[in-house]
Amino acid sequence: MRSVVVVGGSIAALTAVETLRMADFDGRITVLSDEDLPPYTRVPLSKGVLAGRETADDVVLAPLSDEVDLHLRTPATGLDTDNRVVLTPAGPVRYDGLVIATGARARRIGTANQAERVLRSYDEGLRLRDSLAQASSVLVVGGGFLGMEIASTARALGKDVTVVDLAPPLDRLLGTAVGGHVRTVAARAGVRFVLTHGGVRLLGAPFPTGVETADGQRFEADLVVSAVGDVPNVEWLAGSGLPVAGGVLVDERCRVSPHVVAAGDVAVFTTGDGALTRIPSWTNAVEQARAAAKALLHGDDAPAYRPSRYSWTEQFGLDVKMVGAGDPQGEPVVLDGSLDAGRALLAWPDATAPQTVVAVNHPTPPAKLKRLLARPAMEAAAC
Amino acid sequence: MRIVADRARCEGHGLCADVAPEVYELDDDAIVVLLHETVPPELERKAEGGARVCPVAALRVEA
Ligand SMILES: Cc1cc2nc3c(=O)[nH]c(=O)nc-3n(C[C@H](O)[C@H](O)[C@H](O)COP(=O)(O)OP(=O)(O)OC[C@H]3O[C@@H](n4cnc5c(N)ncnc54)[C@H](O)[C@@H]3O)c2cc1C
Ligand code: SF4
Repeated sequence: MRSVVVVGGSIAALTAVETLRMADFDGRITVLSDEDLPPYTRVPLSKGVLAGRETADDVVLAPLSDEVDLHLRTPATGLDTDNRVVLTPAGPVRYDGLVIATGARARRIGTANQAERVLRSYDEGLRLRDSLAQASSVLVVGGGFLGMEIASTARALGKDVTVVDLAPPLDRLLGTAVGGHVRTVAARAGVRFVLTHGGVRLLGAPFPTGVETADGQRFEADLVVSAVGDVPNVEWLAGSGLPVAGGVLVDERCRVSPHVVAAGDVAVFTTGDGALTRIPSWTNAVEQARAAAKALLHGDDAPAYRPSRYSWTEQFGLDVKMVGAGDPQGEPVVLDGSLDAGRALLAWPDATAPQTVVAVNHPTPPAKLKRLLARPAMEAAAC
Repeated sequence: MRIVADRARCEGHGLCADVAPEVYELDDDAIVVLLHETVPPELERKAEGGARVCPVAALRVEA
């Protein structure tokens, strides 16, 4: 293998390049990214960037070495696996090995004439920051990590904040005990929660200024932000023959087809029970990209990927770190501190064989949290 | 090569230390500590790799 093309310009792409070089791959590496900025982290977009405290300099990651050809503003528009070329507006790019790391974009629920506000890219972060600065009230549709972090930042800026969701925000991610705690803290900070039955419709154009629920209730705000999930960027693979099912389908080593691997938010894999799943998170993008790069170099001899399942969120003064299975059920065992005291180390379902451990404002690093998990803690999940 | 750690930005995710335990460590408050004032040449690549995976871009590489 003399040349590798990596499509995508974020953490999965960067980690794939890093891993290839660490493994002493000395062939040519070309990175195609449709972004204006070199690889940056999205994590501060909902926090420091949205609050107006941080700009591009603060979010750009340590640059790639000059031995890597990074092409910005260069979208891949097609893929020909027979001839092994990626198509771009600047011409075809040949590869011996291909890494698909095109991630995902924000899901939208508005109509074509609505300029819906979403947050995924740095540019969207700047636009949302500017709109937020001029708004006095904000309605956030979707109460996942992203929606709640946006709510937290907006509230800290003194905005009147309402979060609308179908289910109690964060429960599905953090379980009811911690989810409920975060909502209590958020409500105490002044955030209003609205639970709806059925999806909402955005009202107003071009910029939405309200939502209507399925049962006809209306809520209005100066600024409406949609934080309703993400959609994998796979359109450029249409007609390539690669397996696409809500993402690029990868095996337990992140391989897609001969000479092609995929990693990060774009990748979907089969879990033990046969269901298809994605793990759209930073750590997962890093870990899949490592596995994918190794599989490209070593095939079956490369180690299979095992998700370490670490996620976190920072909001309303709470620093929440979680390892193990998501959405832990029921009441946790308290290993240290207490939620009421604002600092806690919690385990589910019990202290002897924890499947999930959560630290709330607790200075236990993730590596130590993982060691608290019962072994074998791994699900039968593949890549 | 030097690494500059912005300890105020660090959120203690420890990804840097996973990549390069010879270069990065977490202290008792789970905040990153650099183990070398100047990174020894044989650790430079690992140090850069560790800096690149930081989700809050708290680590800067200086030539
Ligand atoms: C505001 C915000 C906060 C977040 N906070 C956290 C957090 O606290 N913790 C956490 O774990 N995760 C967080 N995430 C999620 C995390 O950022 C993603 O999981 C991660 O970015 C996935 O990396 P990726 O490289 O797979 O995909 P992406 O980051 O989506 O990158 C894909 C790249 O490919 C480019 N691209 C797409 N299509 C093409 C094409 N056809 N040709 C060329 N280039 C293309 C894109 O422009 C982009 O550069 C957050 C996300 C957002 C938006
Ligand atoms: S990766 Fe970044 S946030 Fe995590 S411990 Fe290292 S410096 Fe801190």
